[in-house]
Amino acid sequence: MKAVSFSSVAVGLGLILAAIPASAHHSFFAEFDSNKHVTLTGTVTKVEWENPHARFYLDVKDESGAMAHWEFQMGSINVLVRGGWTRNTLKTGDTVTVNGYPAKDGSRLANARVITLSDGRKLTGGSSFGTSIQ
Amino acid sequence: MTSARIFIAAAILFTACPHLPAQWLNYPTAGVPKTPGGAPNLKAPAPRTPDGKPDFSGIWEAEKNQPCPPDGCPDGPTGKEFFDIGWSIKGGLPYQPWARDLMKERMAQNRKDNPNARCLPLGVVGTHTFPLFRKIVQIPGLIVILNERDAMYRQIFTDGRSLPDDPQPSFNGYSTGKWDGNTLVVQTNGFRDGIWLDANGDPLTEAGKITERFRRVDYGRMEVQVTVDDPKAYTAPWTVKLNQNIVLNTELLDFFCLENEKDVAHLVGK
Repeated sequence: MKAVSFSSVAVGLGLILAAIPASAHHSFFAEFDSNKHVTLTGTVTKVEWENPHARFYLDVKDESGAMAHWEFQMGSINVLVRGGWTRNTLKTGDTVTVNGYPAKDGSRLANARVITLSDGRKLTGGSSFGTSIQ
Repeated sequence: MTSARIFIAAAILFTACPHLPAQWLNYPTAGVPKTPGGAPNLKAPAPRTPDGKPDFSGIWEAEKNQPCPPDGCPDGPTGKEFFDIGWSIKGGLPYQPWARDLMKERMAQNRKDNPNARCLPLGVVGTHTFPLFRKIVQIPGLIVILNERDAMYRQIFTDGRSLPDDPQPSFNGYSTGKWDGNTLVVQTNGFRDGIWLDANGDPLTEAGKITERFRRVDYGRMEVQVTVDDPKAYTAPWTVKLNQNIVLNTELLDFFCLENEKDVAHLVGK
């Protein structure tokens, strides 16, 4: 796993979807650490296009070559769809780079903020720590 | 940020997308007053029903008045009231000591025990501030509020009936409405214990009664003035105003909180 600082990803060129408000289903701070950032690249193994949060799972190869399985939480289907997502936007087998906030309990779970597809397009994941359409 | 701006932005996005959604996400709302330029005229007068009363029908969302830093707000854009229902009251809510202690402890625990996180109903006040949509259907004798969250309904009877004397406690209570000029005054009793009025955990008890004064300011805006009278939790009644904005050219979508709930197991307190 490689952790990088989060600075310009969200404002980078090529962000094809506007930022999306979350569903406020639960307290962000009870689950995720906004002071830490993770950026992981891997292959999507599963997409759960369901409420209260869409989720996807990623097989990530770490620096030693070992495979780790990560879970990413996004916003609710409602806010994702209203922001331009469809259930086919992210698919099993896609190679993506995800920037997000890790879970406080140390599990391999993170709140996905920006998802970069292999063709360079960037998607806003409807993070609970999201920005609004200004 | 207004609802109209959201949907103008959404319309641009949808136009740019190669695959348009098949749902009624961008179905045009009928009867929207327009400016000379053809844009929705949100400042137009409130519509009225055939009997001359203000018509609250439409899809509404809570005003998102919480300032967000450039990097975003925790839990996304919401109203301040979503977190702290009493933020606008000078000196804060008039807590009974136990109620203040309870709220502080709930906050110290990162709000992890919020019934919202466990997919329980939000109650009357929490529903007004929750950042998903609500649809008001107004017919003679009855106003129904359809909540996108968990497809929940609320009924406000305007047929002249009285509130129940010994109500079975419930999340939404029992509501009757009467007109005071252009304002619909709704009285509600029969709440159950354990309701959180906001994400901070301000409590409402079974002794609580709520009065809401609904006023459609113009086509685009609705004010709900909420008075909470709960002597068990507060030393005096208190009143706040919850602004709502019309949402155009869309429809309610499914949101079932328990469909794939996986967060509770990861919530961490202090």
